[in-house]
Amino acid sequence: MGYEWQFSVLYQYWPIFVRGAITTLEITLLSALLALVIGLPAGVGKEARMWPIRCVCSVYIEVIRGTPALVQIVWIYYCLPIILGVQLSGKTTMIVALGLHAGAYVAEIFRAGIASVDKGQFAAAKSIGMGYWQSLRRIILPQAVKTMIPPFINEFATLLKLTTLGSAIAVYELLHESNNLIASIYRPLEVYTFLAVVFFMITYPFIYMSLRLERRLKRGE
Amino acid sequence: MSALVEIQDVKKSFGSNEVLKGVSIAVEPHEVLVVIGASGSGKSTLLKCINFLETYDEGRIVFDGKLVGYKENDQGRDIAPESETREIRKNIGMVFQNFNLFPHKSVLENVIEGPVQVKGVTKSEAIEYADELLKKVGLADKRDARPSTLSGGQQQRAAIARSLAMRPKLMLFDEPTSALDPELVGEVLATIRGLAEEGMTMIIVTHEMAFARDVADRVIFMDDGIVAEEASPEEIFTNPKAQRTQDFLARVLNQRKVLP
Ligand SMILES: Nc1ncnc2c1ncn2[C@@H]1O[C@H](COP(=O)(O)OP(=O)(O)OP(=O)(O)O)[C@@H](O)[C@H]1O
Ligand SMILES: [Mg+2]
Repeated sequence: MGYEWQFSVLYQYWPIFVRGAITTLEITLLSALLALVIGLPAGVGKEARMWPIRCVCSVYIEVIRGTPALVQIVWIYYCLPIILGVQLSGKTTMIVALGLHAGAYVAEIFRAGIASVDKGQFAAAKSIGMGYWQSLRRIILPQAVKTMIPPFINEFATLLKLTTLGSAIAVYELLHESNNLIASIYRPLEVYTFLAVVFFMITYPFIYMSLRLERRLKRGE
Repeated sequence: MSALVEIQDVKKSFGSNEVLKGVSIAVEPHEVLVVIGASGSGKSTLLKCINFLETYDEGRIVFDGKLVGYKENDQGRDIAPESETREIRKNIGMVFQNFNLFPHKSVLENVIEGPVQVKGVTKSEAIEYADELLKKVGLADKRDARPSTLSGGQQQRAAIARSLAMRPKLMLFDEPTSALDPELVGEVLATIRGLAEEGMTMIIVTHEMAFARDVADRVIFMDDGIVAEEASPEEIFTNPKAQRTQDFLARVLNQRKVLP
């Protein structure tokens, strides 16, 4: 039995895909930003001298890495209102949940990046009177950034794809828009296939960039 | 004359390994103290305690009248706030065996980093002094080069200039020539000797015995975490008292014949 593909019917619905893609990118960018803001202190804190800080950071990183992103999203969406009495909108939930989620992975990238820099650099920075954060900002991170960029980009691509989980809490990202469209035009094969293509087109440039950078850095060493 | 650095019965362990077992040393202003001793005797650890890159467990280190790294109270002592330790570090230059220049910065940027970022000196003022220092260490023509393009000897001289840019009262050298090819040792030692002639107070850990004898006002021989002997360079090199000093010198003088 041959299926008759009719991609042309999708043509008139392009604004829906654009709208979905904008929401998807918005969630991705904002949660990536949040992940960076959380990731740096968490990654640094995991190696902190004071044990309570070390403890908090390790627990955060391990709990996040040990549970599925979808569970984290629905937990923030459904449980947080019961516990704290604050109901976040679907989109905000996605940004917060994915930010926290990616933050744990970003923390590991920061930690490994900082560890990749020669310890003597910290000693030299301290010996001229720099404080810890100042050494990190001026001396250590500029050197670590080379090794951190490829995994950052990878993490970003992962984040992009994780936005589809938003459909579980009715956020109008690409997948949810697609489902709605299917409900009205009954063309799941076309819509889902096209959705895959859209995602690939958004994500692949980042993956490609990360590969290129990684190769270039390896050659540079 | 009161000492610039006073190390009083300092003890330090890494886990169960006691590395410093009660070290007492005083260094007067303008004095050059050379520390010699076998590998693992605690020389580097001692230097790092002086600017608190390492903590010490017992005893006191007083630099320029201030206790290094701790705040004493009725119960004992706590680690001092970082700001106070940084204040002390601004006045103590440290030169490392592996130079530890900042590889992402030019030689000039390395030298002005401390003055500008830590001391808040204006950039133009910092550059002016940096150029002076680079001239002094013979690197005026390398001011815009990256460290990786320099020879080891040049890197170490740049590192010395970076420390001097903070206008320290004390300079610590931890085997400044150990990572260098023999033909590059002389230029670095000459730079250090120049500082000694200007009256810089210095503590120098080195295996270059001829240099030690030449530049030191006083020599300390460390062995297994204690000061086994302390004497003038003439005394320690011609007539060492302790058996361990004799053994050590016999060993190093036989295998190392590098003259500065
Ligand atoms: N961060 C550290 N953690 C654990 N042990 C250490 C540490 N730093 C030094 N040690 C130990 O302390 C002892 C003294 O080391 P130190 O580096 O002070 O010796 P040294 O006299 O400078 O030797 P060398 O001539 O090889 O430089 C050694 O046994 C070393 O293994
Ligand atoms: Mg050493």
